[in-house]
Amino acid sequence: MNPRPDKTHRPTTRLRQLLVTLAAILTLGIITAGPALAFTPVDIVHAEQVKAGPYTLTVGFSVWPIRAMQSLDFTFAPDGGIAGKSGTLTMDGPGVKPDEHVRPLVRHPRKLEVWGLDVKSLNAPGTYTFTFAIDGPQGHGEGTLTGVQVLDQPGPPLGLSWAVSSLPFVGLVAFLVIAWRRTRPRQHTLTL
Amino acid sequence: MEFTAPSGAIRRAGPTSTTSNAAVHADQGLAARAGAWTVFLGTLITTLGLSWDVQWHVEVGPDTFFTLSHLALYSGSAISGIASLVMVLLATSAQRAGRPWDRAIGGTPVRVFGGAFTAPLGYLISGVGAASFLLYGLLDLWWHSLYGFDAVLNSPPHVALFLSISITMVGSVIVFAAARNLRWGQAGLVVAVPILMTFTPIVTNAFSALPLPVDPVLLGTVFFSALLLIIGAALLPRPGGAIGIAVVLGALQAFLWWFSPWAAHTYAAFVGLPLRDGLTPQPPQLPGGMPMFLILAAIAVELVFWQTRSRHLDGKTLMPVAGAAAGLIVALTIPLQLALTDPTSSTDPATVAILAGAGLVLGALSGVLAGRFTIMLRALAPAGATS
Repeated sequence: MNPRPDKTHRPTTRLRQLLVTLAAILTLGIITAGPALAFTPVDIVHAEQVKAGPYTLTVGFSVWPIRAMQSLDFTFAPDGGIAGKSGTLTMDGPGVKPDEHVRPLVRHPRKLEVWGLDVKSLNAPGTYTFTFAIDGPQGHGEGTLTGVQVLDQPGPPLGLSWAVSSLPFVGLVAFLVIAWRRTRPRQHTLTL
Repeated sequence: MEFTAPSGAIRRAGPTSTTSNAAVHADQGLAARAGAWTVFLGTLITTLGLSWDVQWHVEVGPDTFFTLSHLALYSGSAISGIASLVMVLLATSAQRAGRPWDRAIGGTPVRVFGGAFTAPLGYLISGVGAASFLLYGLLDLWWHSLYGFDAVLNSPPHVALFLSISITMVGSVIVFAAARNLRWGQAGLVVAVPILMTFTPIVTNAFSALPLPVDPVLLGTVFFSALLLIIGAALLPRPGGAIGIAVVLGALQAFLWWFSPWAAHTYAAFVGLPLRDGLTPQPPQLPGGMPMFLILAAIAVELVFWQTRSRHLDGKTLMPVAGAAAGLIVALTIPLQLALTDPTSSTDPATVAILAGAGLVLGALSGVLAGRFTIMLRALAPAGATS
């Protein structure tokens, strides 16, 4: 029996159809799921009140208690909302870098109705303070949240994490050493 | 005198190791080009994905494991890894069938897993980098589950991921270096070296928590720019290689300068997120760190190479001079670049002096190493290999 051309090409056609279908499903999935995948909502699990002159500010934390190096969301919500108000946040504590000491109060990227810091970690254990300076319709006000305790970092010691993570570098150096010893580049001239 | 590897200098893999200058079969030639360019494509996608991701964090912020820029990062390594695996399987198949395998296709074949596989060295390296990326991706997922979605470059798993990507990019350069006598191999070197040059300084973020007088990423930029510029120029068979590499780096920088903010803003608009409040007018972060004046260093390298050729010197003799000149130029033009592009930056004279000194020392060291690494890379395939 002679093979028919359409049967010969059928597997290729089916494969192509399968690939096109998979690509379409993947593309559709990414497009429709895009907004959901791009960010997660801010979930505040602990809050503190701060009196900054005439303003009352609610400071929210998405993780409590706080541990060193563990990033979390901070929200700063003045009573009456942030409209018409501005200010600065001054952070003090053992893990605060000099360029992070003072910063303007800006909207939280995932909770735009309040000010905040997104996925921010405090990188050393100890006691921290958050000082707020707020300007608004009722004038200027300042207040400080004191005694925010940051516990030791979770997980294994940092040295162990670095040791495991430096293995690719160790491997690369070992490869270079082996290649160097086998080719002995010092013994050869190089023509340019 | 063209250096060729001494017999048995690198362990060979049975009959496939036969060095032959004869043209290999047409399908091997096609596979050689397809493999090399697919690995390169993966590294290019990774670079675009990282630049986009960094800009997303700077200008927009919210993050999960599955943002589109992350998917670009992952897919880049996946593409390079799969292409590397296919090339290793092709080489293994050829070796088992007793067919010759040209060393211009990925470099010297080496035995892997006791001879179960025969892997051209370049594809072995790029594949190991991609596999390492996969493993450290899992570690990164665990890290984020423990520490949260810290948008920092210098966490241990992130540094390991950057190292893994850099290893894949090293593999890509090795693959093109093995085919340096072919037109596509030369074209590949001119584009693969700038990709590696862009990426390697990112790894030096590992030292950013140390109290150093200068940002370690700047030092990494100086060292790797000089090292890779010289290696690339020395591997290419004609004068002008350094200029070509610098021009491609400039084109890549210009593209990323436009692409990264555009992609971040477009994706933000797509998912309905605004840009962060209080953004300062800084240049795009990843292209902003690429050496804008590398062309000057390239001219210096070409001049030193010209002197070497006209005096019939061993290429290694003046390599430290080429490296020191390139390192100094890159180091001194970094503050100029920052002054021109970043209104928020300021470099004090003491930092400039430290950068200049570091540029000389790191540059000279890079020159010494570049000479040796060039010889090692030339040993991957004989000078006359063609396919």
